[in-house]
Amino acid sequence: MSDASVVELDDVGVRYPNGVQALDHITLQIFRNDLVGLIGPNGAGKSTLIGVVIGLIKPTSGVARLFGESISAENLRRVGYVPQAFQSTTNEFPATVFETVLFGRVQRVGLIHRFSNTDKTTTEEALKLLEIADLRDRKLSQLSGGQLQRVLVAKALAADPEILILDEPTSGADMHSKTEFYVLLSKLNRDRGIAVILSSHDIGTVTRLANKVVCINRTLFFCGLRSKFTDDVIAKTYDYSIKVIDHTHA
Amino acid sequence: MLGQGFIQRAFVIGAIVALLSSILSVFIVLKRISLIGDGLAHTAFGGLALGYYLGLMPIWVAGGIVVLGSVGITKAMRSSKISGDAAVAIFLELGLASGIVLLSLTRGLGVNLESLLFGSILLVSLEQILYAFLVLAVTAAFVLLFYKELAYSTFDEVQAKASGVSTWFFDYSVSVLAGIAIIVSIPIVGVLLISALLVLPAVTSVQISKSLWQTVILSPIFALLSVVLGLVGSIILDTASGATIVLVGLAVFLLVLFAKRIVGKRIPTR
Repeated sequence: MSDASVVELDDVGVRYPNGVQALDHITLQIFRNDLVGLIGPNGAGKSTLIGVVIGLIKPTSGVARLFGESISAENLRRVGYVPQAFQSTTNEFPATVFETVLFGRVQRVGLIHRFSNTDKTTTEEALKLLEIADLRDRKLSQLSGGQLQRVLVAKALAADPEILILDEPTSGADMHSKTEFYVLLSKLNRDRGIAVILSSHDIGTVTRLANKVVCINRTLFFCGLRSKFTDDVIAKTYDYSIKVIDHTHA
Repeated sequence: MLGQGFIQRAFVIGAIVALLSSILSVFIVLKRISLIGDGLAHTAFGGLALGYYLGLMPIWVAGGIVVLGSVGITKAMRSSKISGDAAVAIFLELGLASGIVLLSLTRGLGVNLESLLFGSILLVSLEQILYAFLVLAVTAAFVLLFYKELAYSTFDEVQAKASGVSTWFFDYSVSVLAGIAIIVSIPIVGVLLISALLVLPAVTSVQISKSLWQTVILSPIFALLSVVLGLVGSIILDTASGATIVLVGLAVFLLVLFAKRIVGKRIPTR
């Protein structure tokens, strides 16, 4: 395995207790500086794959590695994760935006230790980067869906991650917010060298944004450079004919 | 009257129990497991009854049973096979039914059922105060040491777990501490009303707090207010102390809701 590999799945399969085979024989590698678009139809196993990478789901077969090692609490500290959807309780939680983004530092601060000034400064920087510094003292219940999503991304970035994993982060966001968000992801990947794994239904945008595409539908249909990704792969994966039209968000 | 020893002891244990329950209240309410207090209280009732039936020290038997119960409830809640409220209901019914059967078998052995169900704060001993204080000290130390992990797990267990936080440890710890808190709190409010002390302080403070930290600070303040006013009220009116404390807590909650509504009408939102 290459030294630069940050995620490696080796013949990974996941079978849920109810007998559903969510993933089967998935083998792939993701490297530093990769911006990966993870696509596949509903129920294809995208969230399960992400669950495996962030240690929430144990593969029933095969091996998953982070930074060349078995997934553990230690190497998960180097990962930033933005979930698919809020728990219904999240926006009712009485924390401020600052308190929530500061949670991102928990994985960088040891047990028992308190947050230091460095943790607070890093949190402030993440707020500025996501352009939500003015919302600092607002409660989560006072935010719009788009603002909440930015808060969660800021929280993930506050952890100083080497990989940022986003599970359909723009679902429900308007086109302008989506475009701004994708520009930010590209910038983080290019300027900071953060590997990004972006799961989305927005095939056109994701494949245009990513330098690498992973296309799954329970099994792996494609894993490689965007330039090699063709409409035929989509047709096979989604089991129907589709034409991706490249477009630019204004 | 306030100079009398038993009254002073009542206020001391009242304050300890208020602080103890309100610290845990924040994490229980925000985690949406408010009914766990009811489940554990009734499990404790079954444990106390078993202690009386066996002729052993009931408080220690109940302590052991409630720790096992809290682990069982948490395990069931974390399992996808059964919903959280169903898990609580099963333990609640098991504790209550076995408690009633065992107490009916020990009839005539001098068990004061009323004090178990409704509390008897004026009969509290120094030994009970000491135990309650020790539990408070352990709980406060635990929350202070692991505040950030506890808060993060409460905010979103999946995200906390993905960050390497051992969320299972904090789930079980809060549950076990709540169970032990219930055991030492039974003398003040009894089995039937104990869960109110584990819910009302946080529910009230969430209404007006502007941050999580404020919620954590305001919760003990509301709990102390309810316990002190409730005790004074029960002495003046000669009513059951536990029920009076809970009624005062509910009144404080309604007042805060009312005040929030008035202030909210005066200050237009964005």
